[in-house]
Amino acid sequence: MSHSTVPRSRAEADTPTKTPTASGGTTGRRDTGRQGRIGFWVRLRRDRTLLLMTLPAVLLVLVFNYVPILGNVVAFQDYDPYLSDNGFVAMLQSPWVGIEQFQRVFEDSQFWHAVQNTFVLFFLQLLLFFPVPIVLALLINSVIRPRVRAVAQAIMYLPHFFSWVLVVTVFQQIFGGAGVIAQTLADHGVNGFDVMTDPSTFKYLVTVQMIWKDAGWGIIVFLAALSSVSNDLYEAAAMDGAGRWRRMWHITLPALRPVIALLLVLRVGDALTVGFEQLLLQRQAVGPDASEVLDTYVWWNGIRNQDFSYAAAAGLIKGLVGLTLVLVANKVAHLMGEQGVYKK
Amino acid sequence: MPLLAACGGSQEARKEGTTSGKDAAKILPAFVASNVVTPDIPSKNGSPVGFTKAIPAAELKTSVPQKLGSGGKLTAMTPYWGTPPKGNNPYYTAMNKAIGVDITWQNQDGVTYDQKLGAVLASSDIPDIVVVPDWNLTGRIPTAINAKFADLGPYLSGDKVKEYPNLAAVPSDAWQRGIFGGQLRAIPMPASYVTGMAAMYRKDLFQKEGYAVPKSPDEFLSWAKSATKARSKVWACDDMKWTALQVFGVQPGGDKALWWNLEGGKLVNRIETPQYLEALEWTRKLYAAGVVHPDAVSGKSGGSAANRFTAGQVLVYNNNISDWWGKTAEQRTQNPDFEMGVIDVFGPDGGDPTLWAGQPGGMFSFISKKASKQQIKDFLALCNYCAAPYGTKEFMLTAYGVEGTDYTVKDGLPVKTQQGVNEVSSTYDLTGNPAPYVAYPDFPDITRGIVEYQQRMGAFTKKSSFYGLTVTEPTRWANLVDDFEQLEDDVVRGRKKISDVQQAVSDWKKRGGDDLRAWYMKLLDDNGSAS
Repeated sequence: MSHSTVPRSRAEADTPTKTPTASGGTTGRRDTGRQGRIGFWVRLRRDRTLLLMTLPAVLLVLVFNYVPILGNVVAFQDYDPYLSDNGFVAMLQSPWVGIEQFQRVFEDSQFWHAVQNTFVLFFLQLLLFFPVPIVLALLINSVIRPRVRAVAQAIMYLPHFFSWVLVVTVFQQIFGGAGVIAQTLADHGVNGFDVMTDPSTFKYLVTVQMIWKDAGWGIIVFLAALSSVSNDLYEAAAMDGAGRWRRMWHITLPALRPVIALLLVLRVGDALTVGFEQLLLQRQAVGPDASEVLDTYVWWNGIRNQDFSYAAAAGLIKGLVGLTLVLVANKVAHLMGEQGVYKK
Repeated sequence: MPLLAACGGSQEARKEGTTSGKDAAKILPAFVASNVVTPDIPSKNGSPVGFTKAIPAAELKTSVPQKLGSGGKLTAMTPYWGTPPKGNNPYYTAMNKAIGVDITWQNQDGVTYDQKLGAVLASSDIPDIVVVPDWNLTGRIPTAINAKFADLGPYLSGDKVKEYPNLAAVPSDAWQRGIFGGQLRAIPMPASYVTGMAAMYRKDLFQKEGYAVPKSPDEFLSWAKSATKARSKVWACDDMKWTALQVFGVQPGGDKALWWNLEGGKLVNRIETPQYLEALEWTRKLYAAGVVHPDAVSGKSGGSAANRFTAGQVLVYNNNISDWWGKTAEQRTQNPDFEMGVIDVFGPDGGDPTLWAGQPGGMFSFISKKASKQQIKDFLALCNYCAAPYGTKEFMLTAYGVEGTDYTVKDGLPVKTQQGVNEVSSTYDLTGNPAPYVAYPDFPDITRGIVEYQQRMGAFTKKSSFYGLTVTEPTRWANLVDDFEQLEDDVVRGRKKISDVQQAVSDWKKRGGDDLRAWYMKLLDDNGSAS
């Protein structure tokens, strides 16, 4: 699922670069008075083991996250990867065309379709998907018998490990035109049931698929937050006569608030990433007008049609809008008094 | 310095346009016919020849008397339809040993091959051998081919091909198709120019239900409505778009140069013709009537259409006519009553159809520009071996595998074992082929049926302006028609309207379609047509 995997990998990507400062920070905080006096070289010597340990991870981030950013220059070219055996040499040889690719993108009605679909899906997911893991976590948390709890958790996690191909096939077998439901309805004289190929309800279909596959997996973070709530609080509240709802309202939910805020910020920053494989697999079933989102649009034009510069331009637009969204969402989180993703 | 050299080399290799006439004659290999076995059914109206009789092992001839391979290694990327066999199986081992080259196959799903190809060719690490079907020559793939693959001219042009006798027997019009960017780059798979696409029906079920085979688009539609029984999981047909395009006389959609035809002194593209819209409209009616299997509506066509057909869930589907044999051979082991037949293409009013010739070579094998001389020779050894004609030991091994493991001989006929069915299929087969043929001695009636279908259809087949030529379009227009196939699929499924196609065509003209027309016109004036 996009919400859980992407932010997580981003968090991982951030950790190594931050670790040295973080460790420096903690030591710094312990002897606050001296921090200003410790020189850069001294700190480097002191933390060299830690720095060495993070080096491989930093290198990975550099090579796989930062160097590819340079490739965005093709968005301003008419890039032809076949000019040379080496993609970078081909970049040097490709002609510059300024913002022509961006003009093409903005003039393409398909692009605007993709933007619209992306936002519609994002809001639907936010409304329908986002609360589900929270509710599930609260439910699971209220189960006392460990055995029941473990079984319920396992059942909820399991669909996460199915590939999208499998999920879509299962849905096709149940909700498709030749699926179980359509067949049962046909036996009773109702023909034409097929939600898998209906473009008008496609957005709900993909959201439901997402909930089925990943809502269970999403509860892990919330369960972790819940487990950190001290039982004393509940006991004390119960002693004071607080019922089940009051305890949830005044203890459980406040405990979850920072996590919810953090995930919300990450989700908004990732708003333009609403799923790729899931949508690509069902592109044929409902047509691009209903299923094309920015990611599939970039893929279709770049990989399928080899119009690399055009796709790079569309991808760059997506990246810039995404960056703006992260900054805004983080700001809003700060204003609400939450930690957010980072603080200056 | 290497940078400059690369620059100069690639500029030359990026040649746009085509090569024909005298220029082509200079690089085409000589033709030396091979007559190992006289075909039981000769070619007529451009059809392939047919072999119906099995030849006992003792009478098989040898076409590759000595191993041409050097014992080197090659990697090969090919499309594969179905589940690819494991490497190092007895068939691969036997083939590699016989050819004298150790080939490692990298099979990719044939249905989504176009999605892999562009990315693989854009990388700096491409397999030694790459097989490309002509319907995947979309977008900038032809440019990539010109830049990435070796010129085989120095090894094959003129009399040099005689070192490889089986390749010398490949017809010249197929070789002509192998000229990319001014150089002979591909070993072509020769194909009959008569359409191999056919609508096939379940003869056994038709007989059981008492259906008559429809003879016009209207008849088909009304039959389909009566034959669809969703309650018992039977639909009249699968996606019939390809058949519709034939019925209404639309130029073929595979090779982009064939989209154009000279009509009244002006080049007209298939997407501009009224026939194109009529074909889509008829297909749309089938979908709207609910006679198409729901899984086809959701776009799962290709291999699974054949599965729905053999399962009896659809009564008519279209695919390459070789399925007639493939599906019958597969089904007869479990269902002795299984019988299928082919529906002749009818015209829009039920009369004779107008069919357009496909290209005489539709699948190409290339070898990387980085390959050494020895590797290129090994590649040619592979192609020469696989191009062995019917009636030779090499053919037998390539097509049936190892006797006792992949096939057994029953009543004088080779019959594939389950292992043979799984392992002996479309890998080696794609890298070299003799002149177009059909040879299924285990089902002589089907062999005859396939050849005769193509002979009947051949009588209605015309060649369009760029028949036989391989054209590299300028890259600035190479992506113009990329999204038409998607649009077609949307229209027939009722998600878009015919007017959307008309709008897309007028956009296409503005965005470069008219310029491309002028470019093709000049090409035609300069080169003439190959046919």
